[in-house]
Amino acid sequence: MVSGLWRAIEGFLTSPRLLLLWFAGVLSGLLAMGLGAIVVIEGGLFNATASTPHSPVVALAAHTAFIRSVQVRAKGVKAPTAPFTAAQVAAGFRDYDASCAACHGGPGIPRADWAGGMTPTPPYLEDAARRWRPEELYWIVGQGVKMTAMPAWGETRSDAELWNLVAFLKALPDITTTDYLRMRTAAGRPRALNAPPASGALGGARPAPPPLPETGG
Amino acid sequence: MTSDRRQDRSTHVIPLLGALAIASAVTLCGCVQRPVEPKWANFGGDPARGAVLIGRASCGACHEMSGIEGANGQVGPPLGTFAHRTMIAGVLPNTPGNLVYWLRHPQAVVPGNAMPDVGLSDAQARDIAAYLYAER
Repeated sequence: MVSGLWRAIEGFLTSPRLLLLWFAGVLSGLLAMGLGAIVVIEGGLFNATASTPHSPVVALAAHTAFIRSVQVRAKGVKAPTAPFTAAQVAAGFRDYDASCAACHGGPGIPRADWAGGMTPTPPYLEDAARRWRPEELYWIVGQGVKMTAMPAWGETRSDAELWNLVAFLKALPDITTTDYLRMRTAAGRPRALNAPPASGALGGARPAPPPLPETGG
Repeated sequence: MTSDRRQDRSTHVIPLLGALAIASAVTLCGCVQRPVEPKWANFGGDPARGAVLIGRASCGACHEMSGIEGANGQVGPPLGTFAHRTMIAGVLPNTPGNLVYWLRHPQAVVPGNAMPDVGLSDAQARDIAAYLYAER
């Protein structure tokens, strides 16, 4: 069986006619792919609007590519050996609340209304610390994410400031809505930032004073 | 050798059959205990529109859900079998009206909980509720 396979391979490799056919096949395959790409790109077939969601296949491929890209590239990052301090968390909070909360929200804190209009939509980060190691969070925050509107904050933040943000993200699972609002007050930041605006965060009308909920059945 | 093996097999068949019977019984019970339809029939709301809204509102960052790409958050409860849930947020009976109310005003129901008021309209909340009740 195995020797038969070897013989077939040997026959293939030593036959100029078969090799030529194979190369012709590969070449025409590549040409077809190139032509297909040109048709899709030049023909405007890819729907680049943010108002339509990615197809499930594209979403899965892009999301997985992003996760793997971070996991592989963050391997070289060296996290500080000392545990994060309360001062780092507080400094990280100030930066997060000013620069990140509009897109990512907070515990019980909605994102800005327009964040729902982004594709992919920026996630809430309550459990980012469970999904990523500190080195990976540092990498994502510092380097940003292509085609998601996530900026590379390393362009405008120092290394220490990036680690402050990581310290805050690591602390976030333990921060309640009440804690977060208290931190806002302590930092002198507006308490009601990102409260649902008149238009509604997802384009809906602002809710009227809530009716009493049903009690049963 | 062969007779040994045959004996081995026969001793394995009975527990295997038993396990199969239990598994199928459990599955059948699961099928029987699904009085889902009446709850949201004629309730309005479009599950397909709901799925898009769930993606837009980033619900999946905190909740595990079936059929929504990347919805694997573990901040709040998983919502894959929400139609069978008895209480919403532990305080409201799981009725369509209560679900819409909760989706629109989570901070009014449980002040200080981690789910934000994202400003859903009544129609949007109905679409999302329809999706949650349609999940199996």
